[in-house]
Amino acid sequence: MAVFNIKKREIECKIVYYGPGRCGKTSNLEYVFKSYKKQVGGEMVSINTEGDRTLFFDFLPMDLGKIKGCDVRVQLFTVPGQVQYASTRKLVLRGVDGIVFVADSLDVRREKNMLSLKDLQQNLKDYGLNIFKVPLVMQYNKRDLADEGIPIMPIEKMEKDLNRQLKVPSFPASAVKGEGVGKTLQECLKLTLHSLQKQFSWAQ
Amino acid sequence: MTKNIKALLLQAELFRKQGLLGDARKKYKLVEEILLKSDKLPNKQKLLEGLAKKVAALDEDVKAVERAPSTPEMSSHVNELIKKLFSFAEKDKDENDAALEGAIALAKFGQFDGALEEFHKLLQVMSVRVSAAKNILRCHLEMGNPDGAHTQLAQWQGSDLFSPEQFEKVTAFFDEILEKKGLKKEIAQAPGATAEVSVMEEDEEEEFLDISAVAITFDSGPHKGEQVELDVSFQSGNVISLIISSRDEHLIESLKVGVRLDDVHFYSPVAIFRGSGIVSAKTQIKSGPKKGDFSIDIKIESL
Repeated sequence: MAVFNIKKREIECKIVYYGPGRCGKTSNLEYVFKSYKKQVGGEMVSINTEGDRTLFFDFLPMDLGKIKGCDVRVQLFTVPGQVQYASTRKLVLRGVDGIVFVADSLDVRREKNMLSLKDLQQNLKDYGLNIFKVPLVMQYNKRDLADEGIPIMPIEKMEKDLNRQLKVPSFPASAVKGEGVGKTLQECLKLTLHSLQKQFSWAQ
Repeated sequence: MTKNIKALLLQAELFRKQGLLGDARKKYKLVEEILLKSDKLPNKQKLLEGLAKKVAALDEDVKAVERAPSTPEMSSHVNELIKKLFSFAEKDKDENDAALEGAIALAKFGQFDGALEEFHKLLQVMSVRVSAAKNILRCHLEMGNPDGAHTQLAQWQGSDLFSPEQFEKVTAFFDEILEKKGLKKEIAQAPGATAEVSVMEEDEEEEFLDISAVAITFDSGPHKGEQVELDVSFQSGNVISLIISSRDEHLIESLKVGVRLDDVHFYSPVAIFRGSGIVSAKTQIKSGPKKGDFSIDIKIESL
C-alpha cells in the first residue's frame, strides 16, 4: 500500500511485474534501469538463482519528481515466476498499488499464462483486493520471436485468453529490445497514480 | 521433413536459451521421434547421436537448476533491503512493529540466521516479546531443528523473561505449530520435554483442485459440437463459477440449470483434466462492472 506523507507532500507506491516463469519480467526492469537513468533512483537489485531465474524478487526504485505538487517515488518489483516460489510471490505482492502482468507470447506458454493470471487473482483476493479493481496493465511480451520463425500466439488469442473479462490496457512488447516496455510502465503508472489520487486526494 | 526438423530444432534451441528447459526437451523429443520413424535420411544415425548430446546437455541444465539452493544465504546488504522493503508498519510511528515485520520477512525469505538474530534482539522489547519468541520457535522448526526449538523453550521456562500468561501463549503456539507439522509426538517424547501436550482435533477438509478455466464441448443446442473456453471467476469446493457476458445469449441459453456437461476440460495448476459437471445455478449480476452479465455455477461431478 502506498505511503503518503502529507507534511512532506511525498508519495511512495509499489508496482509489481507479475507473470509466469521466464516471461521477461526481469528483462522489463533491466530495460527500464538502462533507459530511464534520469528517473531511476538507485541501483537495481536482482536476487537470482541458477540460470538467471529470479529467486526472491528484482527491485528498482524510481523517482518521478513532482506530480501535481507531490514528490512521487515508485518501487518496481518483479516476482519469481516459477510455480514452486508461490509463497515468495505472494509476499512480494503485498502492499501492491499497480500491476503489470507480463504474458509470454510463445504458443507453448499459453497455459502457463492463464495459470499465472489465476494465481495473481487468488493472491490479490487473499490480500482483500479485487483483480477487477486493482490498476492493472497487460503486456504481451516476446513479439520479436515471430521474426525468428518461432510460433507465437496472435494478440487476439492472448486478449481472449487473458483479457476477455478484465478488459485492461494491453501492449505488445519485446522487453529484450525495449519495445513496448516504456508504454506499458507509463500506462501502469498513469492508472496507479490516478487510483492513488482518488484514494488520498493528494492533488487537491 | 527436413524443414520440419529444422524448425523444431530452432524452437528447441531458442527455448533452451530462454531457460524454458521443459519445453526445449519436448521439442528435442519430437525431433527424435521423427528421426526414428524415418527410413530415408542417410545420416539418421549421426543426427540421432547429435540430438542425444543436446538432450544430455539440456538434462545437465535441468539438474543444475534443481540442485540450486532454494533459499541461499544472502549478503547483509540484501537482508537489510528485505527488512526495509517488507516491513509495512509505519516506521516513525512504531519502530518495534516495523522491526518485527522486517525480521518476519527475513524468515519468510529463508534467511533464518539473520531473522533469529533480529528476533533475539526484539525479545528485549516488551510490546513484541511474545511475537518474537513465537517466531524464534518457528524459525528453529523451519530450519529442521525441533530440538533447538525445544531447548530454547526450556531455557525461557527457567528464566524470568516472560510472565506466566506470556509463557502460556508461547507454549500454546508451539503446541499448535508442532501439531500442524506432525511433530508433536516426537517432541513430546524428547528428553527434557516439559511443554504440556494438549490434544487438538484435526480439521479434515476435503481438498479440491483449483480450477482456473474450463473448456466445455456442447453435445446439443446452438453450440453443438463447439468447444467454448471460459475463465473461472470463483471456486468453492467442487463448485466453480463462470461469468458470461450478456452478449453471449446462445451460451447463456445453453447453460440452463440442471444441464449435464459430459465433456469438460478442467484447467488446473497440475494439469488439464477431462471430466463432467452439472449447471447448478444461473444468476444475473445486478450491480457493479459486470451488471447484466450472468454468473453460472457448475458443480464438478467427475474429474
